[in-house]
Amino acid sequence: MKIISCVAVATAIALLPGTACSQGKTAPKDAKLYFITPYDGQKVRGGFWVRFGLRNMGVTHAGDDYQNAGHHHLLVDVNEPIDSKEPIPQDKSHLHFGAGQTETMLELAPGTHTLQLVLGDAKHYPFEPPVVSEKITIRVRPPASARSR
Amino acid sequence: MGEIRNFRSGNHDEPPPHGGMPRRLAAIIVGDIVSYSRLMQADEEGTHARVKRIERDLIQPSIVEHHGSLVKTTGDGFIAIFDSPVEAVRCSIVIQQNLIGRNASLPKHSRLEYRIGVNLGDVIVEPDDVYGDGVNIATRIEGIAEPGQVYISGAIYEQIKHKVVCGYESLGDRKVKNITDPVRVYRVLPDADAVGKTRSRRETALIFLLAITVMMLAAGVLWYLLAQPGRIGEQAAVPTASPVASPAVSPAASPSPQPLPSEAATQTPQPSPSLASAPTSPSPSPSPSAAPPREPEMIAIRGGSFAMGSNDDPTERPVHQVTIKPFSIGKYPVTVREWNECAAAKACGFTATGKDDAPVSNVSWADAQQYAVWLAQATKKPYRLPSEAEWEYAARGGTQSKYWWGDKLQPGMAGCKDCGELAAEQPAKVGSFKPNPFGLYDMGGGIDQWVEDCWHRTYQGAPSDGSAWSGSDCSSHVLRSGSWKNDSRYVRPSNRDGYDTNVRYPTHGFRVALSP
Repeated sequence: MKIISCVAVATAIALLPGTACSQGKTAPKDAKLYFITPYDGQKVRGGFWVRFGLRNMGVTHAGDDYQNAGHHHLLVDVNEPIDSKEPIPQDKSHLHFGAGQTETMLELAPGTHTLQLVLGDAKHYPFEPPVVSEKITIRVRPPASARSR
Repeated sequence: MGEIRNFRSGNHDEPPPHGGMPRRLAAIIVGDIVSYSRLMQADEEGTHARVKRIERDLIQPSIVEHHGSLVKTTGDGFIAIFDSPVEAVRCSIVIQQNLIGRNASLPKHSRLEYRIGVNLGDVIVEPDDVYGDGVNIATRIEGIAEPGQVYISGAIYEQIKHKVVCGYESLGDRKVKNITDPVRVYRVLPDADAVGKTRSRRETALIFLLAITVMMLAAGVLWYLLAQPGRIGEQAAVPTASPVASPAVSPAASPSPQPLPSEAATQTPQPSPSLASAPTSPSPSPSPSAAPPREPEMIAIRGGSFAMGSNDDPTERPVHQVTIKPFSIGKYPVTVREWNECAAAKACGFTATGKDDAPVSNVSWADAQQYAVWLAQATKKPYRLPSEAEWEYAARGGTQSKYWWGDKLQPGMAGCKDCGELAAEQPAKVGSFKPNPFGLYDMGGGIDQWVEDCWHRTYQGAPSDGSAWSGSDCSSHVLRSGSWKNDSRYVRPSNRDGYDTNVRYPTHGFRVALSP
């Protein structure tokens, strides 16, 4: 009986920090997430490829719980800070790449946009400390096919 | 000018190889803004800008999408030609239905409404204009059309009457200015039932009586089923009682068994589909060996035609007309309790945690598909995921507004981040918000819902028969409804998004559909 209660208390204590603090798994300190293309300030026309770079960590499927591996999320024009206690949101400005993709074809409306990468763990939570890229700014020009009539 | 050339070519040259005289048979649409001069007088620049915007955002894309070509825009209208009368009429309906949506929030005097006339005729086509009797007749028909209506000539009617699911009201032969022969004119009613509504009171009364009879029968059967196990005794209380009660009532969510048959009946004026697909059909086949699974409550939806999509987001364009066959769809998203029966049968990948009546979440498209396959096998009924078109048709509940309840956000209607107090929390229970006009709960907000279709970035090339759009690269599928974590833009019935097929996410769930 005593043993059981001891175990119960021990598990409760062990689980407490997990529930109270962030869900995030720890990431190596030298992990680096970055854009291969486009570069900060680049001008693009129409649809363009975005390629994701990751150093000192691996890319895996969402749901796969391997150490030091995660999947990419591309944040388009997001101004809110990243909340490490919540899964990375899923909407039209938080694009998920849970199948382990490392690039995507992006089509954005003409104008200035910001892009940022965030690595998520198996359950879409940011790592601890967060593995994020620099926020870059790009300018999208109207498509060349818009002929003058 | 064109007519002179025509005269000449007819007399001297061989007309076809010369090619100078582009005569062809075409369906001609003529559209014209109602009270254009008054609107211009009230606000010249504003009106001009609005007209241009409608032409750019709605009229031009609709014409292109229906394989027509815009011949010209005049100050207050436009002329377009089509190879196909069917496409011409569909295009006209799409334009008119869209305008209804755009005008809904405006006061009456500042609404921009079009009259549209469609005719079939042999015309002379030049790069920036079109000539001939056929055009003149289309213009005259347009002139007698009511604001917001599509009027068509008899020639068009003969071509499309069995092809475009609409109501047509004959307005008889009309004498039109400067045309010798009278022209037969029909009014197009986008909703096929609009005709029935005006004409057959007696029929509706009969159907109503039939519905009541069916309801009473159903209630009787239900009472019999519910009362029986109680009388037989308690010896097998739990296992027998639950399968008997399950197909009719999802216990916590609906207070009494009556609303379900009555809703299904009132929503299906035609008695046959309501009888065929009403979920009450008392056949829980009491085989003692394998307990039948708990079936989600279903609502019968009768078929119809609607304008799918919107111009609010690039993914929702182009707005296109879709015809839906009768089907049934889950009254609520699939719940944790329902899901866990599949998990218990080892047919679904994981056991869901959370309250029994909460919508199941953190499911991938593949997970949802597994559940539908299991449910179909276990019940021997063709359960499946709804198609994207079916989902939107059901979510709109017969409306064309921004949300199913209108164009303005209202508290208590949906669960989302900025939909009002308490709406921003993970749903603990399905059906916590108001049902839409079809009696469906949580069609927008609450939990994201997978549908059958592959993800495509726009509707360019989408099917118009209500079937699921598969093919292409199916690594991601379509999500509908938006969740409690999204803002109110995502609650709109036309909102759509794609997500990786095999990836689970905490806000993703689904509901099932059933073919009749």
